[in-house]
Amino acid sequence: MATPVIETVDLSKTYEGAFGGVPVLSGVDLKIEYGEVVALRGPSGSGKSTLLNILGCLDRPSRGRYVLGGSDVSGLTREEQAWVRLHYIGFVFQSFHLLSHATALENVSLPLHYAGVPRARAEETARELLGRVGLDHRGGHFPAQLSGGEKQRVAIARALTSRPPVLLADEPTGALDTRTGTEIMRLLLELHRERGTSIILVTHDPSVADYADRQIFLRDGKVVDTPEAAVGARA
Amino acid sequence: MALGRETWRLALKLVVRQPGRSALTMLGLAIGVGAFIAMVSFGEGARRSVVAQFEVLGTNLIKVQTSTPGVNPKMRPPMPLTDSDVTMLVREGTTFAHVLPVARKNAGVAYGGEQRPSWINGVAPGYFGIHAWEVASGGIFDQSDVNERAKVCVIGKTPARELFGDRDPLGQTVTLAGTLPCRVVGVLAEKGYSTNGNDIDDIVLLPYTTYNTHLADRVAYGYVEIEPLSKDLLDSARAEITDILHRAHGLEPGDPNDFTVSSPLEVIRAADRTARILGTLLAAIAAVSLLVGGIGIMNIQLVSVAERTEEIGVRAAIGAAPSQILAQFLVEALILTIIGTIVGVTLGIVVASVVASNMGWPRVISPSGVLLSASFGIAVGVLFGYLPARRAALLDPIHALRRQ
Repeated sequence: MATPVIETVDLSKTYEGAFGGVPVLSGVDLKIEYGEVVALRGPSGSGKSTLLNILGCLDRPSRGRYVLGGSDVSGLTREEQAWVRLHYIGFVFQSFHLLSHATALENVSLPLHYAGVPRARAEETARELLGRVGLDHRGGHFPAQLSGGEKQRVAIARALTSRPPVLLADEPTGALDTRTGTEIMRLLLELHRERGTSIILVTHDPSVADYADRQIFLRDGKVVDTPEAAVGARA
Repeated sequence: MALGRETWRLALKLVVRQPGRSALTMLGLAIGVGAFIAMVSFGEGARRSVVAQFEVLGTNLIKVQTSTPGVNPKMRPPMPLTDSDVTMLVREGTTFAHVLPVARKNAGVAYGGEQRPSWINGVAPGYFGIHAWEVASGGIFDQSDVNERAKVCVIGKTPARELFGDRDPLGQTVTLAGTLPCRVVGVLAEKGYSTNGNDIDDIVLLPYTTYNTHLADRVAYGYVEIEPLSKDLLDSARAEITDILHRAHGLEPGDPNDFTVSSPLEVIRAADRTARILGTLLAAIAAVSLLVGGIGIMNIQLVSVAERTEEIGVRAAIGAAPSQILAQFLVEALILTIIGTIVGVTLGIVVASVVASNMGWPRVISPSGVLLSASFGIAVGVLFGYLPARRAALLDPIHALRRQ
C-alpha cells in the first residue's frame, strides 16, 4: 500500500491543569490514505477537537508521532507549523470564519497572499474557485451580504486555494438548514473527486457521516470500534 | 516578503474600510504632532517678536555712561563724561560711525500760561536717525544749528499736545527750564511707550551745544551714544571705547573703569535667552502630548488585537505565519501613524498660522521642527505599534478560534 497522507502513532495529548495532567487523547493510531473521506465521530469531550487541532497542525501532541505526507510534523516550531497549514491543510469551520472586512474574493485569495503569490495570479485562481463553488458574481460581496450557504461555499473555496492534500471540515453543515447542508456536502464530495483531496469530517450528524468512505469513532480520547461504543459513552 | 507591497495594500484597505476606528486611533497622534509643530512655532514666533521689539531701540548702539560712585572709599570718584572725552573719541576712534553726546534733564517746558515737566535732551542731529525718530511736521536742526548754538528745538507728541492742543506748535517759542526760549522747528511722530512703561514721546530735543551753554550746570554728558561702522564691529568698538576713555580719564592700566559701556544687544540677548527657554518648555510639553498620542495608538491597537482575536485565529489557521501576522499589525499601525502624522503636520501649520496672524507674530514654521515632530511621531507609532503586533503574533490560534 502507498504511504498514507496521515499517520499517527500512539498520539497522546495531556493538558496540564491545577490538579495534575488531564489526558484528552491517549494512544491514537490512525491511518488515512490519499483521497480518502473519513468521518470523525464521538460525543462531546471525546477528544475530537483536540485530535483535529493536532491533525491541523494548530496544536502539538504531548506524546507519539504525527506523520503528514511522509514527514514527521510532531515537533515543529510555530513558523514551521504555519507553513505546513498553508501548503497541506485546508480548514472549513461550522461558523465559516470568514474575514468580515474582506470581500469574498479577498477571503479566497488570502492563502495565496500568505504563500507570496503575486496578486494578479492569486485573484485569478480565487476567481476560478469562486466560479467552481457557484459564486461567480459574488466576488465583491462582503460576508455580511452573503447567505449561510454562500458563506460556507466561500470558506470551502478558501480552504482549497493553495491545493492542500487534506481538508479538515469541523461540522461544516452545523450552522445550515438541511437542504443547504446537503448541497454543501455534495459540493465537498464533488471537489474531493475532482482534486483527490482527502477530507476529514468531524460531525455529530450520522446522515452527514454517511457521505464518508469510513468512520472513526472516538471515546474518552481513544479510538473505538463501533458507533454503539462511542454513543454508549454518553449514557 | 513579510513586509511586501501586498501587506501594505491589504493593511491600507483595512484602515480605509473602518474609517471611524482609524480616525479615532490616529486622532491622538495627529493632535500630538500638531501641538508640537504649533508650540515650536509659537515659541519661535514669540521670541522673534520680542527680539524685534528690542531691535527698535537700535541694536548696534553702544551707550557709555559715568559709573555710579563705588562703595570703595579708596577709589577716587568717577569722572564725568565731558567734551574732551567726546573729542578724543571722535579723533581716535577708528570703528565708530557716529559719536553722539546726550545731555539730559527733567525740567519745565512752558508756552503761554502753561508749564509742564518733560525730558529735555541736548543732542546732535545724528540722534534722530539712530533712534528712528520720524518728524510729523516741520524738520530737525542741523550741524550749523549745533555750531551756532541756535535756540531751536524739536518737541515730542506729548508736549505738543499738552501745551498746544489743536494749535500748530511750529514757529512758536517755548521756554525751557524757565530760562531758555527756543523756537519749535519740528514735531516728532508718535512712538508710544517703551517696554518699561515710559512715555517715549514726552521729550524735547535741542542742539547739545545750546544745552551746554544755557541749561547745563556744568559741561558733562548724561551719556554718549556710539554707533559702530557695522554690526560686526560692535565688540571691537567697545574695546576701543574702553581703551580711549581709560586713557582720557588718566586711569592706570589695571584700574577699574569709572564708566560703563553697554549695548541693547545685551538686553536682546537676555530676552532671546528667556524666550528660547520658554520655547523649549513649550516644545517639551508638546512632546509629552506626542507621547500620549503614541500611547493612544498602542491602546487602540491592543483593543483591536483583543477584538480581532477571531480574525487572527482564522488567518493563522489558513497558514499565516506569526511573522506575517506581526507584519500585518505593524504595517497597520504604521499606516495609521503616517496618516496621523500628515494630518497633525497640516493641523499644526494651520493653527500656527492662525495664531501668528492673530498675535501679530511672524509666522515661523521651521522645516527642521516639522521634520523632527513628524519623525518623532512615526517613531512613537512604530514603537507603540510593535507591542500589540507582537501580542497578535503570539496569540494561540486554537484559543483564538475557540473564542467564537
